[in-house]
Amino acid sequence: MTRAEADTFKARAGAALADHHLKTAIDRTTRTARQKREAAVAGWPGFSRARDLGARIKDHVIENLDHYLIEFERNARASGAIVHYASSAGDACQIVVRICRDAKARTVTRSKSMLGEEIGLPHALDEAGLGRVETDLAEHIVQLAHDRPSHIIWPALHRTREDIAALFREHHHTPQNSDDIPAMVASARRQLRGGFLAADVGISGANFLIADSGAVCTVTNEGNAELTTTIPRVHIVTAGIEKLVPSLPHAFALLRLLVRSATGADITQYTTFHCGPKRAGDLDGPEAFHIVLVDNGRARMLGQGLAEMLRCLRCGACMNHCVVYNEIGGHAYGGVYPGPMGAVLTPVLDGLETSRDLVHACTLNGRCQEVCPVDIPLPAMLRGWREKSWAQGLEPVTQRSFIGLWAFVVTRPRLYRLGAGLAIKTLRLFARDGWIRALPLASGWTSTRDFPKPARRTFMAQYQAQKRNRGL
Amino acid sequence: MSARDDILAAIRRNLRREPSDASAIRTAAEALALEARESRPSLPGCDLAEAFAQRLVSAKVVGASVSHIGHFSEAPGEVRNYCDAHGLAYEMALQPDPALQQLDWSDFTITASIGADQTLAVAKARWAIAETGTLAFHSGPFSPTLMSFLPLHHICFIERERILAHLEDYAAAEAGATPPRNVNLITGASGTADIEGALVRGAHGPAFLHAVIVDAGEL
Repeated sequence: MTRAEADTFKARAGAALADHHLKTAIDRTTRTARQKREAAVAGWPGFSRARDLGARIKDHVIENLDHYLIEFERNARASGAIVHYASSAGDACQIVVRICRDAKARTVTRSKSMLGEEIGLPHALDEAGLGRVETDLAEHIVQLAHDRPSHIIWPALHRTREDIAALFREHHHTPQNSDDIPAMVASARRQLRGGFLAADVGISGANFLIADSGAVCTVTNEGNAELTTTIPRVHIVTAGIEKLVPSLPHAFALLRLLVRSATGADITQYTTFHCGPKRAGDLDGPEAFHIVLVDNGRARMLGQGLAEMLRCLRCGACMNHCVVYNEIGGHAYGGVYPGPMGAVLTPVLDGLETSRDLVHACTLNGRCQEVCPVDIPLPAMLRGWREKSWAQGLEPVTQRSFIGLWAFVVTRPRLYRLGAGLAIKTLRLFARDGWIRALPLASGWTSTRDFPKPARRTFMAQYQAQKRNRGL
Repeated sequence: MSARDDILAAIRRNLRREPSDASAIRTAAEALALEARESRPSLPGCDLAEAFAQRLVSAKVVGASVSHIGHFSEAPGEVRNYCDAHGLAYEMALQPDPALQQLDWSDFTITASIGADQTLAVAKARWAIAETGTLAFHSGPFSPTLMSFLPLHHICFIERERILAHLEDYAAAEAGATPPRNVNLITGASGTADIEGALVRGAHGPAFLHAVIVDAGEL
């Protein structure tokens, strides 16, 4: 296989399907996630009303995005924050690196942020020669393994405890004595504490940007965000512009949905609002507070029929419940965001031409929209991308001609019935004991599953015969 | 044009409209916030302090315990009991809050600032929220943020009358006030589920959180 072939979605998905170790790792985490979410939703009678309201709060912000952006900027500046704007991923990274250089930073701590991953910030910091310490446990694992995140809530979900134990033994100063999970977590705590204390700059993302105060909200369970944002001299936030909410009560309404959908808890252990730098008399906190507001295709989505995707709270429920994600995991998708929400967003970020396979890697069973805490019509959006891919001529020639032929036949009923009658007669020749185990030209189907032996006559032929028998 | 102008222009172009009326937007936003009160989770029928305490020790909250004292003057004794129960030395970082500082801590070795490997920190929370079992801290001259994140054990005193029902009640209680650098809403001990989804406490922050409800508030 050439490098280009190895890098197609089909090749990556094929490799993932063959990896039973990966399947074990995915199952261990997503099964727990599904069960806990279900219990959390069942325990909240107001959930469906809250979900409907959550979608409307996000829609209200999206419809007035310019207003809230200006209001947030004004209040953030008043609190002493320095606000930057970046149209593209590259611009955002440049701004962050420049702030680090101006601060004469040597080491930087980072608290998990999907926006940071989206803009390629880890790579940009490494390129700039800054010592980067990922402080979220999963991101720490990903960094040690020179890996990429494979899930937006559990970035190291593709690693089993056995993999991680080996990684820690290789990289930690004083690794765990036993390979049970608490001992491994304690080893990471010892390892990272020094990194927290030595950092010159701390970089976080944002779960919500509160327009009426200029505060930035982060949620974590580990407490790594607060150690990242409080100890260093400089705190930088990178945030997508869709994270805006009008005020604190709106953030709380969305927080209830986000956390239950992500982990099944009612609230994260730490929900923190950062507003401006350290105040006069404060005993800790950064001297300087920067907020980088990133567009990177979001404003364009408003005009592309993708505005509803900007509701996304990044909870990960859609991937936990996706039959495709659960078979192939996050890396096979090839983009920063995997699963259903990733299949909708990757064409925006990387272009449809290179990601058209993703929008087809979906059974349209609708589970993702059902579990989405803000009711994003993900299946309809994936169909929309399929239509665009067809209209732009991106579908391969074989597929286009086959569908052309299909359309020609199905719009001519007599021809269709004749063809169907011939086809089932032919197929029956390959059947043994009611099943077809191998078919020439269709090994793609039969190599992994059997095809049922067709009935003796077509549906239409049986229907006509019954009508005659009943004298109708 | 600056990136700011580019982004605002692109938003308006793609929304296909001019800037809209700020007061109409505010009215719509307020209606949405009000509506959230209708679907929020309900609380058990008992009083708020009891609801908060029940919530804190339920399976919904990680690594938390709770006790009661009548007055702040009993706080040092309560901390001694906690240290004895957990086999801890009488050493701690004490939040520089006047209500705590004025108490008799003569049995303890006290550090004013928090150390990187501090075993115990003792603090007073600003608010508690019964809905979620949350303690709210505001950073300030009497309340450093790191006191809640560096220690292994975190003991938090909370006055009974400062226990609120819902998250929105916290927002209402602080409405109009200038927000501090940090608002920390803390619910239980630090935890992680990053290895195979298995929940482990004490990831980076405290492994133990103990709330003490002070029934009569200040003397």
